[in-house]
Amino acid sequence: MKNQGYLMVIPTLFFAGLLLVTVIWNVWLSFLNSSILVHKPKFVGLATYQYLFSQYFFKISTTHTIVFTIGLVAIGNVLGLLFAGLLYFIPNNVQRSLYLSVFIYPLAIASSTSALIWEWLLNPTIGVDWLLKLLHLPAPYWLGTSNMTLVSMIMIEVWAYTGLATLFYLASFMNVDKTVVEAARLDKAGGLKILFRILIPNSMNGFIISTALLFLFSFRIFTIPFVLGGSATSPTLMTYVMYVYNLFISEYFSASAAMAVIVTIIAAAVILPFAIFGLMKWVFKR
Amino acid sequence: MGNKNNLYKPENYYVRVIKYAILQIIAAILIILWLMPLYALFVGALKSNIAAASTPALLPPSKPSGEAYYFVWHGFGGIYGLIGLEYPLIREILIDVPIAALATLLGAMGAYFFYMIMDRHYIWSTIGFAIISLATYLPVETTTVPLIQIVTSLHLYNTYYGVIIAYLMFYIPMAALLMSIFMPSIPKYLLEAAKIDGASDWRVFWKVMMPLLVPGFLSTFIFTFLQIWDNFFIPILLISNPQEMLLSVAVRQYAGGYAIIYNRSFAAGVVGSIVPLVIFIFLGRYFIRGLAALGGGAKGV
Repeated sequence: MKNQGYLMVIPTLFFAGLLLVTVIWNVWLSFLNSSILVHKPKFVGLATYQYLFSQYFFKISTTHTIVFTIGLVAIGNVLGLLFAGLLYFIPNNVQRSLYLSVFIYPLAIASSTSALIWEWLLNPTIGVDWLLKLLHLPAPYWLGTSNMTLVSMIMIEVWAYTGLATLFYLASFMNVDKTVVEAARLDKAGGLKILFRILIPNSMNGFIISTALLFLFSFRIFTIPFVLGGSATSPTLMTYVMYVYNLFISEYFSASAAMAVIVTIIAAAVILPFAIFGLMKWVFKR
Repeated sequence: MGNKNNLYKPENYYVRVIKYAILQIIAAILIILWLMPLYALFVGALKSNIAAASTPALLPPSKPSGEAYYFVWHGFGGIYGLIGLEYPLIREILIDVPIAALATLLGAMGAYFFYMIMDRHYIWSTIGFAIISLATYLPVETTTVPLIQIVTSLHLYNTYYGVIIAYLMFYIPMAALLMSIFMPSIPKYLLEAAKIDGASDWRVFWKVMMPLLVPGFLSTFIFTFLQIWDNFFIPILLISNPQEMLLSVAVRQYAGGYAIIYNRSFAAGVVGSIVPLVIFIFLGRYFIRGLAALGGGAKGV
């Protein structure tokens, strides 16, 4: 038998199909009123969504998700660009890849570990505040107020995911024609001028990739707020994905499914164009 | 080009040296900032309880102590209700290595199929690519209710089989996506030639594709392994029995609370991330290549 390719694709299709089944299952569940309070769930149409939109947690989780996502995409992109610019001008290859690894290592270690470290580092007496006070700098009360908690969370996300943006911007910069950069150098253009006039304008794809990935990584962040907040019930750290889990553990199954549908729609709106018009085109040169 | 000589004028040279020094200093400050949490982790974990209770986290211990490691390794469940990390660590390794290998292999086969039909069935391979991308990037939490219903209806709640099914659901498609991105580096005519010579797909995959794709395969394996290691949501959703805890969930017990000062939290953090860290230090380039593959292998940039 020559076409064993069809057999070889079965596991991938089966498990990817199982995932699609869960997505469709969510849509179906979200039209019911299934919860711990209901003995025999029945079809209620969009009532679950109406219930969800009226919830306080839905409103704050919307705010937090927007704040975290915009915060990370904006800061991560800007820092990623600057870090990549910095690394680009480091002439030593070994040093450059070493530094790049340092920016990326937070992505490799377990996020439960990151959460443990930051929980203590943001402690008002023994963490970074101790160092800031020693240096006579303002020492904010990081996880003390709800606004500072958001700031802290964005800071942790920036620490964790800026390496991603740096990686893709550095790859774009490395792809810019070397002769153009050399010509600019001979015309006595400074490093900053080369960065802003030549490298950055030629890094559109790096921008698309890092924006899409920063958005998706921020959108799905779960472990760190979960550990920092003690569980998925903390109102100050509630995000969309946390709220899906929160509704599930409080046994509002249909509401949880409806929330999952909302998350899926938002994520898919970024993933599908990125995959089909970005990844596929670049990789397969179609 | 008359001003070329100016490059080597003395003041120009000094300006360049100073600029270079500023560049290196800024880079060094950023590196220190980025490494600070890791430094705190290893330094804090080596403190005794008394030292941890009386000194800030960023100061190194005057005398290193293994007290905190001893505590988190054995857990003292009887006294504090905390599960030690010894067995969760062993379980995590025993589950993650084979599952990552299986997911990578099965995903590679799927990617091989999509790559082969690419030219003839463009629509189907686009749909396949869209589905595996969706599975790769979709937040795991979206599957909460259906997943638990599937797993409980199969009587797999609180078993590792349920966890494994959930992992395969996310990581086979992810491996297929990464392998699809590594695969075009192999010229298609090699595969077509082998097929014209009468080799079956199975033989082409093992004898032509895999030997050429070892680095890509290794990148996918390591990336998948670290993703599974990092996964916190699936174990916390599907396993409630403390005696069966996986590592990421067990580590979370040490986040704070009764009898926990930061030395114990940090020791738990070291145990939770020592395997990923060692892999990152020795095989980091494979991980970075896997990460780059998430963005199209940085081919589009």
